[in-house]
Amino acid sequence: METHAKPTLLFRVKSQLDQWLKHRLPQTREVTLRQRQIFIVPTQLALGMLLLTLLLFILGINFQNSLVYAVCFWLLALLVLNILHTYRNLAGLTLKVIGIEPCFAGENALLTLELSCEADKKKYAVQLGWPEHDLSEVNLAESNHLRVQLAYPTQRRGRWTPPRITVRTHYPLGLAVAWSYLLSDISGLVYPKPQEQTALQPNIPNHSEHSSGHEIPGGSHDFGGIRDYQPGDAPRRIHWAKYAQTGELHSKTFIDYSSPECWLDWDALPFPDAEARLSHLCSQVLTCHAEQQEYGLNIPGTRLEPQWSEAHKNRCLTALALFGTLE
Amino acid sequence: MKTTAKTTVNAKAALSYSGTVWLLVLQLLVMLPFVQYLPQWLIPVLVFTAIWRIRVVKGYSNRPGLRVKITLIAIGMIGLQFSGLPFPSLDFMVTILLLGFAFKTLETDNPRDGIVVVFLGYFLLAVHFLYSQSILAGLYGALSLVVLTAVLVVIQHPLTFMHNRQSTQHTLRLSASMLLQCLPLMLLIFIVAPRLPPLFMLPLPSSQAKTGISDSMTPGDIANLSQSDGLAFRVTFKGDRPPQNQLYWRGLTLNHFDGRRWQQFADDYELRQLQRHFEQHYRWQPNQLEVRGTAIAYEALYERSGQPWLFTLTPVSEVYGDVLRVGDYRVMARRELQAPTLVKAVSYPDSLRDINLQPMVRQLALQLPPDTDPRTRTLARQLRADSDSEQDFIQRVLARYRTQPFHYTLRPPTLGSTDTIDRFLFDSQRGFCAHYAGSFVFMMRAAGIPARVVTGYQGGEWNAAGHYLSVHQFDAHAWAEVWLADSGWLRIDPTTLVAPDRVERGLEAAMQMEGSFLENQLFTPHNIEWLKQLRQQIDSVQYGWRRFVLGYDQDAQHNFLQNLFGELTVKKAVFTLGGLLLAIGFLWVILLGIKPLRQRHSPEQLIYQRFCKALAKQGITREHGQAPGDFARRAAAALPEQASAILDFNRSYERLCYALDKNEDKTALLGTLKQQLKQLQ
Repeated sequence: METHAKPTLLFRVKSQLDQWLKHRLPQTREVTLRQRQIFIVPTQLALGMLLLTLLLFILGINFQNSLVYAVCFWLLALLVLNILHTYRNLAGLTLKVIGIEPCFAGENALLTLELSCEADKKKYAVQLGWPEHDLSEVNLAESNHLRVQLAYPTQRRGRWTPPRITVRTHYPLGLAVAWSYLLSDISGLVYPKPQEQTALQPNIPNHSEHSSGHEIPGGSHDFGGIRDYQPGDAPRRIHWAKYAQTGELHSKTFIDYSSPECWLDWDALPFPDAEARLSHLCSQVLTCHAEQQEYGLNIPGTRLEPQWSEAHKNRCLTALALFGTLE
Repeated sequence: MKTTAKTTVNAKAALSYSGTVWLLVLQLLVMLPFVQYLPQWLIPVLVFTAIWRIRVVKGYSNRPGLRVKITLIAIGMIGLQFSGLPFPSLDFMVTILLLGFAFKTLETDNPRDGIVVVFLGYFLLAVHFLYSQSILAGLYGALSLVVLTAVLVVIQHPLTFMHNRQSTQHTLRLSASMLLQCLPLMLLIFIVAPRLPPLFMLPLPSSQAKTGISDSMTPGDIANLSQSDGLAFRVTFKGDRPPQNQLYWRGLTLNHFDGRRWQQFADDYELRQLQRHFEQHYRWQPNQLEVRGTAIAYEALYERSGQPWLFTLTPVSEVYGDVLRVGDYRVMARRELQAPTLVKAVSYPDSLRDINLQPMVRQLALQLPPDTDPRTRTLARQLRADSDSEQDFIQRVLARYRTQPFHYTLRPPTLGSTDTIDRFLFDSQRGFCAHYAGSFVFMMRAAGIPARVVTGYQGGEWNAAGHYLSVHQFDAHAWAEVWLADSGWLRIDPTTLVAPDRVERGLEAAMQMEGSFLENQLFTPHNIEWLKQLRQQIDSVQYGWRRFVLGYDQDAQHNFLQNLFGELTVKKAVFTLGGLLLAIGFLWVILLGIKPLRQRHSPEQLIYQRFCKALAKQGITREHGQAPGDFARRAAAALPEQASAILDFNRSYERLCYALDKNEDKTALLGTLKQQLKQLQ
C-alpha cells in the first residue's frame, strides 16, 4: 500500500502546483515579466558561498581579525544583493509567441518567440526554452528586440500545444536563479510522418480511379528536372551524383504529361492500421505535390476535390493531421 | 530586428579563452601579496603553471597528464619539505593552499572549475589579512575583491557579443558597482554581528611571532628591543597629558633572580598556568589600595604582540576590557594579543599600594640566589649599617650611582655568567636600564628591603596631529619598586640618576652622544622635521584605522552600540535593525531602478480604460485581449445611437497607439481623445 501511496501524494502535490501555476500564470500569447510572474531562489552555488562565508567567519573569530570579518560580511551582502540583480535581469522582459511552423511527426516543431525590453534595462544571458530539450541563451543588450526560434521534438501527429516555456537567468553571479513560465495558448500542427509502405506497394491497386494501368506515381518515365530536396522525397529520387558534388540534397523530378485526375483514397489502402494509412497518404500528398500533379484526397469525414496548389497541399496535410481528432 | 542571435546552453561547455586569461590574472593578484611572507620558490612555480596554462589554451602544449600532475605535486611537497616551515603552522598550510591554487590552473577546463578557483581566491584574499591588516593591504584586498567578482561573472556568462575591451569594462563596472551597493549592508553586519571569543587555538603566522617585552629579563633583552622602532601601543588621554617623566607604562613585575636572569617566578609558567596561579594565590585585592591624588583616564590601543602583557599607568583603579587584574597591580589580557586590543583605564599614580604587605609577597620580594655577588652583598650591608633609616639607605644607594663613573650605554660589555651584579657595579659600570634596575633591586634585597624589577615602557612620542601618544619598542624600559612600611610600594628608577635625559626627553636624546639609537636601521627619518611631521600624519590615520576598524572587537562593539542607543533592549534592537534593513532594501530598489509593482500606463491607455468602463456601464464589456477595433465594432452594433462616437473614439485611439508620426503633436490628439470620450459619457 505504501508504495502506492507515495506516488499518489507526489502526483497530488504536483497537480496542485500545476493548478496554482496556471492560476498565477494564465495562458497567454504575450507576457511582460513582473513581480507576479517571476520566481527566484538561490542556487547550489549560493550554498557554496554560504559555506565560504561560514568558513571566513570562523577564521575571523579565531584570529580576531576585523578584515577577515569584513570580507565575510561583504560576500554575505553580495549574496543578498545579487538576488535583486538577478530579478532585475528578468523583470520587464516581454515575451510574445509569434507562431509555430507546422512539421511532420518525429521532426522538431519550431516555435518563434519575440523578446523585447526597455532600451535602458538590458538583459544578459537569458535562457529560454525547455530545459530537457532545447535551451537557448540570448542577450538583449545591443538591440531591445529579438526573435528566437525554439525547437521541440514531436512524436505524434495532431494539434500540438507547446508545453510551458521556461525563461530563466542566473546573471550576474550565478548565486540565484530567477525564472518564469510562458504558457502559450497558441498551438501548431503536426502532420503524420510521411512513410510510403513500400513493402506492400506491389499489391496495392494504386490510384484506383486511374484506368490506363501504367505506372504514374512519381511519373518515373520522363525526367523533368532537378529541384531542392524536400521532406518526404523518396530516397530513390535523390540525385546522389549532385549530392556528392555540392553536399546538398536535390531530388530528381519526373513529369507525366498525360497525368489524369488522381485520387488518394483512404478506402483503397489495404492496411488495417489508421496511422499507417495516414502516413502513406501523407507521403503520397507530398509526392503528388512535388510532381505538380493534381490530386484529390478522400478520407472518412473529409473529401477534397483534385487540385494542385500550395494551399491545397496544406489543406490535405491538415486534414490528415487532424483525422480522428475532435476538430 | 535580429533573429536567432542565440547560443545553445551547454552545462559542460569549455571555459572561454578570455575566461582563462581572467582566471590567471585573478590568481596572480591573489598570490602576489603572499610573496613577501612565504618561501620565494613559490614564485617560479606560479609563473611556470601560468605559462603552461596559456600555452595549453593557445594550443601549443598538451594538457598535463596524470603523470605530470603527480610529478608537480611531488615537486611541491619536496619544496615544502626543504623550505623548513614547521609542520602545524599557518605558513605551512597557506603554502599548501597556494600550491593547490597554482596547480588548479592546469586543470581548469570548465566554468565549474573556474568557480572553484574564484572561491579559493576569496578565501586566500581573506587569509592574507592574517599577515597584514594595514590600510594598504585593505585597499588591495578591496581591489582584488572587485576583480574576483568580475571573474565570477565572466566565467559563467561570457558576453561573447561584445569586444574584449568592452566586456572587460562592462564586467568590472558591474562588479565594482555591486560591491559598492553592498557596502551599507556589509557595514551594518560588521557593526552588529556578534564577536565571539576564539573557538580553538590556531597556529600563528610566523611573521608576527612574539614581539615586545617578554616575561623575563637578561641585561641584553631591552637593549635589543631598543633597536626596533615598531609600535607597541598608542594612548589617548581623556584629560590633559601627564608630564613625560610620569609616563611609566608598567607591564610586568619580575621577582625571581637566578644570578643572571630576572623572571616572574622561580618556575616557568605557561600562560594558562600563570593565570591559574594568579587567580589562586595572587589575586587583585582592591582593599590593599588607598586611592590618592588625581585621576588619569585614558584609552590604550595595543598592537598585536602575541603576548598577553598590557601596559598601564599604575595603579589602575578602573579598567574596561577583557583583562585579568593581578595582586601586583598589573593588568594583563586573558589571551595573547592576536589583534589590536583596546583597553580603557583610570589610574591614580599617587595612590598607596599594599598598605599591608602579605607574607607571600614579602617572601617573593626578598628572594636572592644563594652565594652570588659577595661584593655587592657586603656593600649593601655596609651602607645599610651606615644609614639611619630605610629611606636614607635608598638615598645612599642611589647616590652611589650618581657619584661613581657609571655610564649609560646601549652597547654594554658582556658580564660573563657568574656574579654579574658584582661585575657591573664594581668593574664595568657601563650598562642599560636593565643593569641599573637589576643591581638596585639586588642591593635592596641584600639589605632586607622588599624590592622588585618592573618592566614596561617609559615615555612615548606625542602625535600633535592626532592628540595621542605613540609608544614604540625603543621606549622599553626597566625600573624598580621598593616597599616601605608607611608608603607601600614606591617606584624608583635608578637610570634617571645616570641618564636623566632618558626619562625627560626619551631614548633618542639620551643616546645622542653615542649615536646608537636605532643604529641597525639603514634609514632613520627620526631627525628630519618635515618627514617626522608627515610620518605623524600618516600614523594618525593608521591609528584611526586600527582603533575603529581593526580594533572593533566585542568590547568596542558593546561600547559603540551603547553610546549610540543607550541601554540595549530587544525591542529597540529589533526596531532599529529592521528599520535599517528596510532602508537598505529601499535604497537598493531605487539604485537598481526596479519598477514599482504596478504597471505604468500611458495617458492614452488610461483614457481607454475610462472608455471601457463607460461602455461596461451600458452592458458591453471588453473581453480580455480583445482587439480595440473588434470591441468598437461590437459596441457600435449594440449601441446604434452612439455608434459614430464610439467609432470616432476608436479611430483616434488606434491612431495614437499604432500610427503616430514622429512629428505629430501627441498632446493635441490626446485632447481630442478626451473630448470624444466626453461625448460618449
